[in-house]
Amino acid sequence: MRNGKLKRSIIAWLLLAPLIVVTIFPFAVMLLTAVKPRQEVLSPTWWPSEFRWSNFADMWVATGFGQALANSLYVSGIATVGAILISVPAAYAMSRFRFAGYGTFRQFLLVSQMISPIVLVLGLFRLMAAWGLIESTTALGVIYMAFNVAFTVWMLQSYFDTIARDLEEAAWMEGAGRWQTLRKVFLPLCVPAIAVTAIFTFINAWNEFVVALTMLRSQESYTLPIQVFSLVAGRYTIEWHHVMAATLLATLPVAILFTWLQRYLVRGLALGAVK
Amino acid sequence: MQNRILPYLLTLPSLFLAAVVIFWPVWDLIQISTHDVNRFGQLRDFNGFANYYAFLADPDFLAALWRTALWTVLVVCGALLLSVPVALILNTDFYGRGIARVIIMLPWAVSLTMTAVVWRWALNGESGMLNSALMAVGVIDQNIQWLSRAGTAFPMQVLIGILVTVPFTTTIFLGGLSSIPDDLYEAAALEGATPLQQFSEITFPLLKPFINIAIVLNTIYVFNSFPIIWVMTQGGPANSTDILVTHLYKLAFRIGKLGEASAVSLLMFAILLIFTMIYVRLAMREQRA
Repeated sequence: MRNGKLKRSIIAWLLLAPLIVVTIFPFAVMLLTAVKPRQEVLSPTWWPSEFRWSNFADMWVATGFGQALANSLYVSGIATVGAILISVPAAYAMSRFRFAGYGTFRQFLLVSQMISPIVLVLGLFRLMAAWGLIESTTALGVIYMAFNVAFTVWMLQSYFDTIARDLEEAAWMEGAGRWQTLRKVFLPLCVPAIAVTAIFTFINAWNEFVVALTMLRSQESYTLPIQVFSLVAGRYTIEWHHVMAATLLATLPVAILFTWLQRYLVRGLALGAVK
Repeated sequence: MQNRILPYLLTLPSLFLAAVVIFWPVWDLIQISTHDVNRFGQLRDFNGFANYYAFLADPDFLAALWRTALWTVLVVCGALLLSVPVALILNTDFYGRGIARVIIMLPWAVSLTMTAVVWRWALNGESGMLNSALMAVGVIDQNIQWLSRAGTAFPMQVLIGILVTVPFTTTIFLGGLSSIPDDLYEAAALEGATPLQQFSEITFPLLKPFINIAIVLNTIYVFNSFPIIWVMTQGGPANSTDILVTHLYKLAFRIGKLGEASAVSLLMFAILLIFTMIYVRLAMREQRA
């Protein structure tokens, strides 16, 4: 039996090997380039002669990484806090009340989750321009918030539905009002679900590209994806070791978070719809 | 009485926000697309469908439309064909399965922009690490300028598209596989069914709803995926890797043909809605079953 599993493991790893190599390849490129000494970057060798970790510090100053990081945190923060504050009541209502229009609202949420900002970006740009909000990171945060609301309501409702009503009913029996029950019984149970949904909203906003590319026109307002893209696009000399260091730094924390929480996303998103 | 209004009060803000961010720009796009408009966005006379005729007659648009179809079909099918076996393998019990799973899911955790930036460097013609890796193992003997010709750039973009689509697709299938009860296979094995028969008689039919969902969702995501192509080639060289979204972006923000760009936006919005309707129907049907 033990032998059978060993054989199975070898076959499984052999079959997965090509995909795993291709998957790891860009990460290896990113890491190895990021720590190469400058003069070795353009020579096509794989292994750097030494690991120059100071590249990260140089990059931080040379590319204005700190400002872009602050902008990304600010924009994603607005999107997350706003979307959660607006969605929790809606998801609560959908999970605990029966009301006319419930089905339509749910379908609308499902449809609007699928609308990608790219097909609307020209209209959005014109509206923002009319209000003088181009360059405004706050306005960008609000746009992200609006685009994420459908997703957050949907996710939160699918979690709220899994929380048994017994506890709330028991609290009502004891004479607690709706508001008191909500605050003392329901919300504490929802904290993990809210946290997970908030993190996904944050990551969505953190990674968004096309709206930021359109709305943000000067380097002071760039978010990280735009900042990294601007280091690459339309330049004659690209400092690739800086670009890769910036990419790595911008990606790593979020990637770890995402990998850790990914199963919740699937449960809420794909299977929440399929159930 | 209070309880009857309450749910509406609670849902209204989110409904309002989600609707405004879609319908307001759509309304604006309708306005621009049916008017004569200068490149600074000032509306002049109503011109009916002139903008629509203009983009339909544009050879660049037709090329981009065709390439979008190719891009979507290749990426969606490629990801599907790769993900089914990967999910089947990951669903079996073997040493190091947890690690294998994390590695295969990695591309999903990185934003498309960053992935595309890294690949743009890896595919660099002079000092890119793909060329040096391929030369080291003897597949090629001179540098290939991957991104300077559509003949190599576009296939590479398709492959990267597939690679980043696999994790999501595999996850959906893993969810599907875990819902198939083990005793079905035990019973089939007792009856003497071969592994291939087990796949075609049990696994595939029960996985089918998940395959449908994966196809529709991936079509929606891939069809308007912007960062991979924009970051790697910006649709170049000479528009030869443009798909609809990059074509649209150039029309709007490079060339400044706002009327045509909004007409293309609305066309894409309509296509997106059609796919979304299919998805909603599939999802709702599953939910009822």
